[in-house]
Amino acid sequence: MTLDALTLHPVSALVAWQLIAPAAALATIGLPTLIGRSLTERATTRVVAFAFSSCFVAALAVLVALANSSFATRVVHLGRLFAVGHHTASIDLVADGLSIPYVCFSTGLCSLVNAFAGKYLHREPGFTRFFILLALFGTGMNLMVLAGSIDVLFAGWEFLGISSALLIGFFHERRNAVDAALRAFVTYRICDVGLFGASVVIHRATGNGDFASLFSGDWPHATCLVTSPTAVAITLLFAFAALGKSAQVPFSGWLPRAMEGPTPSSAIFYGALSIHAGAYVLLRCESLLDAAPLTAWLLVAVGIGTALHAAVVGSVQTDLKSMLAYSSMTQAGIILAEIGFGYRLLPLVHVVSHAILRSLQILRSPSAMHDRHELAAALGGHPGPSSWSLVRLLPRRLSRHLYHLALERGFEETVVSRFVVRPLLKALIMADGIERRWIAALGGHAGDGGRRDHDGGMP
Amino acid sequence: MSNSDRHESLEQMIAAAVRFLPPQGPIDSFVALNPLQGFENLPFEEAVVRAGRLYRAQPFLPEAAYREELARERIRVADVEAVLAADLGDRAASPLAGGRTTLAQLHRQLLLHGVKLENDSAVRWTLTESDAIEQLRDDLEPHVRARLLESASVAGHTTPGRAALVASELWHACVEATSGNRPAVGFVQPPVRHRDLILAVRPTLDTDAVVHPLLIRMVAAYLDQGVAAWPMPDRDQGMLAAIAGVYAGQFGPVEPWSCRLPERLRTIRAACDAGRPGRITALDVIEQELVHLGVPESAWADTVTETLVALRGWAGMIRQLEDRPDRAPVKALPVRVVDFLALRLVLDRVAVEWAATQLGPRDNSAARNVTDQLGRLWTELRDRHPLRRGPGSLSRAFLLHQVSQLLGLSAADIRGLADNEVVELEHAIAAFDQIVRRRLFHLAYERRHRIEVLDAVTAHRRFLPPLPSEVPRVQAVFCIDDRCESFRRGIEEFAPDVQTFGAAGFFAVPMYFRGIDDWHAVPLCPIVIRPGHTVTEVPEEQALADHHLRQTVRRSLGRLRGGVSQGSQSLLRGGLLTSVGGAIAAIPLVARVAFPRLTSHLASWAAEFSRRRITTRLELARHKKGRLPDGTLPGFDVGEMAAIVRRLLEDIGLTARFARLVAIIGHGSTSLNNPHESAYDCGACGGGRGGPNARAFAQMANSPEVRAALARAGLTMPNDVVFVAGMQDTCTSSVIWYDVERIPSTHLEEFESFRRLCVEAGRLDAQERCRRFDSVPTDVTAGEALRRVQGRAADLAQVRPEYGHASNAVCVVGRRRLTRGLFLDRRSFLVSYDPDADAAGPVLERTLAAVGPVCGGINLAYLFSRVDPLVYGAGSKLPHNITGLIGVMDGHASDLRTGLPFQGVDIHEPVRLLMVVEAPQERIKDVVDRLPSVKNLFVKQWIQLVALDPATGKLALQDSRDDTISFTPHTTESDSIPVAASSVAWYRGHRGNVRPARLLADAAGRRQEATVT
Repeated sequence: MTLDALTLHPVSALVAWQLIAPAAALATIGLPTLIGRSLTERATTRVVAFAFSSCFVAALAVLVALANSSFATRVVHLGRLFAVGHHTASIDLVADGLSIPYVCFSTGLCSLVNAFAGKYLHREPGFTRFFILLALFGTGMNLMVLAGSIDVLFAGWEFLGISSALLIGFFHERRNAVDAALRAFVTYRICDVGLFGASVVIHRATGNGDFASLFSGDWPHATCLVTSPTAVAITLLFAFAALGKSAQVPFSGWLPRAMEGPTPSSAIFYGALSIHAGAYVLLRCESLLDAAPLTAWLLVAVGIGTALHAAVVGSVQTDLKSMLAYSSMTQAGIILAEIGFGYRLLPLVHVVSHAILRSLQILRSPSAMHDRHELAAALGGHPGPSSWSLVRLLPRRLSRHLYHLALERGFEETVVSRFVVRPLLKALIMADGIERRWIAALGGHAGDGGRRDHDGGMP
Repeated sequence: MSNSDRHESLEQMIAAAVRFLPPQGPIDSFVALNPLQGFENLPFEEAVVRAGRLYRAQPFLPEAAYREELARERIRVADVEAVLAADLGDRAASPLAGGRTTLAQLHRQLLLHGVKLENDSAVRWTLTESDAIEQLRDDLEPHVRARLLESASVAGHTTPGRAALVASELWHACVEATSGNRPAVGFVQPPVRHRDLILAVRPTLDTDAVVHPLLIRMVAAYLDQGVAAWPMPDRDQGMLAAIAGVYAGQFGPVEPWSCRLPERLRTIRAACDAGRPGRITALDVIEQELVHLGVPESAWADTVTETLVALRGWAGMIRQLEDRPDRAPVKALPVRVVDFLALRLVLDRVAVEWAATQLGPRDNSAARNVTDQLGRLWTELRDRHPLRRGPGSLSRAFLLHQVSQLLGLSAADIRGLADNEVVELEHAIAAFDQIVRRRLFHLAYERRHRIEVLDAVTAHRRFLPPLPSEVPRVQAVFCIDDRCESFRRGIEEFAPDVQTFGAAGFFAVPMYFRGIDDWHAVPLCPIVIRPGHTVTEVPEEQALADHHLRQTVRRSLGRLRGGVSQGSQSLLRGGLLTSVGGAIAAIPLVARVAFPRLTSHLASWAAEFSRRRITTRLELARHKKGRLPDGTLPGFDVGEMAAIVRRLLEDIGLTARFARLVAIIGHGSTSLNNPHESAYDCGACGGGRGGPNARAFAQMANSPEVRAALARAGLTMPNDVVFVAGMQDTCTSSVIWYDVERIPSTHLEEFESFRRLCVEAGRLDAQERCRRFDSVPTDVTAGEALRRVQGRAADLAQVRPEYGHASNAVCVVGRRRLTRGLFLDRRSFLVSYDPDADAAGPVLERTLAAVGPVCGGINLAYLFSRVDPLVYGAGSKLPHNITGLIGVMDGHASDLRTGLPFQGVDIHEPVRLLMVVEAPQERIKDVVDRLPSVKNLFVKQWIQLVALDPATGKLALQDSRDDTISFTPHTTESDSIPVAASSVAWYRGHRGNVRPARLLADAAGRRQEATVT
């Protein structure tokens, strides 16, 4: 592994700072905990605040520099992980019209959430843990956004996943929280297969993981450099990965449960950044999508399907955080559909403005009683169940069925658990039993016949 | 038994069971109440243990917490000894270990030093991995240690060597002693619910884990007050019918456990549609399900109780909404506990049937049908219910080893014990289990606090000032709330010529109130009262045009805001809104998070600006005949108003020597990001804000007709007495004033100076509150403190905008003279009562009838929320999620969390309310005898009652545990009381509770002190 980071152009250094600062913050607050100490609350929040706000400022500076060069793509080569024969894996960052605005927005939001959480988690036993995870998330987010190669993107993506799962299970003494974290984690891992597969395909096709060998030109007008079947394979795998992170049907069950964590992390993850990670990855490789109409149409179908599902299900949710989770899901679906339709700037703008609005709503959700009373006072009454006019048109019986369907979240979980999880589990248990019997037969031990308690194995 | 008889007995069971549900209603009118109301007929100490069993809750703080208090001398050894002596009584001297020690000694050692109870494996580990067995404990008292060392059989070793020898010899003796008898096996009363029985034999098979998510979804959807855009259909038909209607469909896949559910719900739905009353249908279902479950009828009552308690937050909410539909935040629904129970039993039974198949094939040949199967399962599982095994012999030897050291019993002593003496000693140790130890610690903990307060009151009384000859400059009536104590003290510190009073903060005006900005009328009075009158705030004639303009603007802004928030959740509008306009939300996001105080200043400035020309008045006098649609009377007539005014003035003993200006000041609290906001409002207003009550009272008392009526009834006040009204915001430490424009010009100067005084007192109040906030430095100035508390109130991220009643511990019913100049640390409810003017006791009677349950309820709510924050409290606020506008859940599907959030009670010291009543003992006894429920609180020790003799100042503690009140004189421990120059000087630098102190009477000095800091 080699590092070339020391000989960087100033703008490239600012780009590199996007990784260095959150990683350094992570080390500063994380390492002391390894010897059983932790920084004070004030020091912790200051370290993280400095990291994110300096990133934000640096990103703004890069944005200005980029704007001056009319958003020409700038690749920052930080070093090389390894090189074997024709295969190389390098640590490249890319600063272009997609990544830099996105970094501005994500680090800005992280700064705000950091300021919020410093007060919100005051005196909480997991205070340091929260900020470690927030710094880890920030590092992962910036890695993913600035990634110039599939390998870097994959690393960032994984940081995102693990910090998200651990924050859902933040209150690990509560069973529901841990169950929800596990569920999210399992969903992520299943969908990560997509990204991993894409990585394999890209390396096979180009000999390295760099995006520069997949497409060339400036975002959003890059041209695809690989053959159409390869593009289809890569984008399908990317899309598969995106479905999990962006909670699209049929992988959406984890999202409402993810609201088990503290409010600020719910806001930044499921209202704002994590939920749009899938969309970002698809925007990153938009030129491949142009060469893969199959994937594009699939995205449209899944996106619209999810949006419809989430809009109907969301309209019967009676708790604020689930309702907001489904609202986020609706928009995430629409955004994917927009990408599928071939828009580029529209989904980017949509992501950013949706994220801002939704994180405000989630951060405000504990004040809902207050806000509702104010609203009712202003309107002279509580706003009734107004807008569901389409439902009123349905016959009574049908609307009751639809309500049942919505309240049961479209039976998504039942279907998935009945037709996917349970058969899979059964097969695994059977395989386990066969293996045990086989080993017992070989080793001559009587064994326990492969019977083990497999209760409660539902993810 | 006939059908109706059965129904009646079921109804009785349900009525008995609902007493054990949390008493908390919808969260927007949160009133702090004793979560153990169902156990109030038992003595406190027994009730907490029993309730702990039912709810699986902690009865007291953990033993380690009390030991910490012992270490920092919050509990003293003398307290432990005193409670031990009282607890053992004449059993104290009973000999143990063949007369080598006594029960009292054993208890004392166990309490003061503590022993570890380890299981056999842990002891084995200790034996092999450490030399703990070869060491004497290092906390032995010197003479005990010396005695043990002398007992060593081999002389001549160095002291450490001898200690090791003694210890290991003793260990061997203990092992021998305990190996002689078998470990105890305890019979455990098996539970009655199938779920608990199954769980005991198969810990991974929890039927509640499958039932609860579905049940919560159903109930939450039914009770929703307006979160969901699409409400459940047919809600007006009752809960059972509506839910059965939705879930009966033959449509969609089902989970394996619930495959029989739709069929059962269809029959229920058909029964509901058959036109019989919903209640009867529900009772039928309950009966059928209990029969189907196969629980014998003798166990029905317990089954009903435990089934309801299993999801008690939701069940309790349904009970509250059934009792008080008028308290529903938006929409009153036909809810019934019987519906909930019926639904729950159906789900339980279906789940149990499924679980039975999971338990594996069983011999069902004798069972004739399914019904029989569940019954047989029940009997079988109860037989198989695991017994509780006592500790093994190594574990007991380890325990005995520690106890023998503490008691100074050597190896020879232990070997000299007969078998039955060992058993007796072990029994005595086992009987003094952690529950008993924690109970005694708790009593010692309360005893220290009680002595501190009572001694301070006694000592302070020696400095009782003579009654001033002049009439006070201003008289101010506050709520009895403990948070008003510091505010009143602040005013008094600045202005010795101001007299303050404390009265329940609805000021004897029970009413439904609707302000000009409110959309409906809310009850403002203690929750036990249903107001019979409605009062509305109306704009004055000349302000009507402005008012209409403002309402129009507000309405359009509201529509816009509501449209955005609703629209952002929908599909098409949401897509448009979020993609086009979402970025605008960056402005409020950044403003609210980064500049909360500035944002709130701007918002309140805008509100002020829009209201600046709109003067209003209360429509108080009854002009119309007849009743309003909700059955209440519009306003009050003169007779009613006179009675109200007279009652309050008599209550607080203000019937003569009126000042020219009398201020009535209610209180409320404004904070953001706080679903429990109303928990910080006025408890006497049912979790509402007391400002309108104060305003109504002042308006009544100023009315010439009312004055005339009062004069006719014998209460004359000079014509130049003017009442003004205000509201103290306990979160921002400020006071707003009502109807200032109506104060006669002759009194404006006095009012202005009093208003300034309140501003100063608010700054002091903010400073005193800030000492509790870890994030504010302890040397904060008064001005900075005020900015801090205002910032906290407006901050979305702030989970501790204020600490509410946390740390409350005392209630003083008596003249303010007794406590004026005494630093009570915002921990005391102060109720004004003049014992000299109430010889027959009617005032005391109504005072105690109100403050006993109210202050007791607040105190117990905080106590239990602190003792077990997870069961009695609402847990951490961080994962709270508002559901249905009626309560909060943890995350996306949990029971409704009742009680107070941990962030509101983390500084609370759980002691029972110490209620000091300044009245002759005989009068207290007479009065309390007429108030059975209040009396129950005293004799069952839910409140510690102390009588203070008005003539002699002697204190006496109510210590009877049977049905008659009886007092034992309090003996003071110390006559001295610390003296401080001012409140600030006394609490400066301290975060925790500060003991009472006498504040110097030098007003000028105090003023100087306050301006310096």
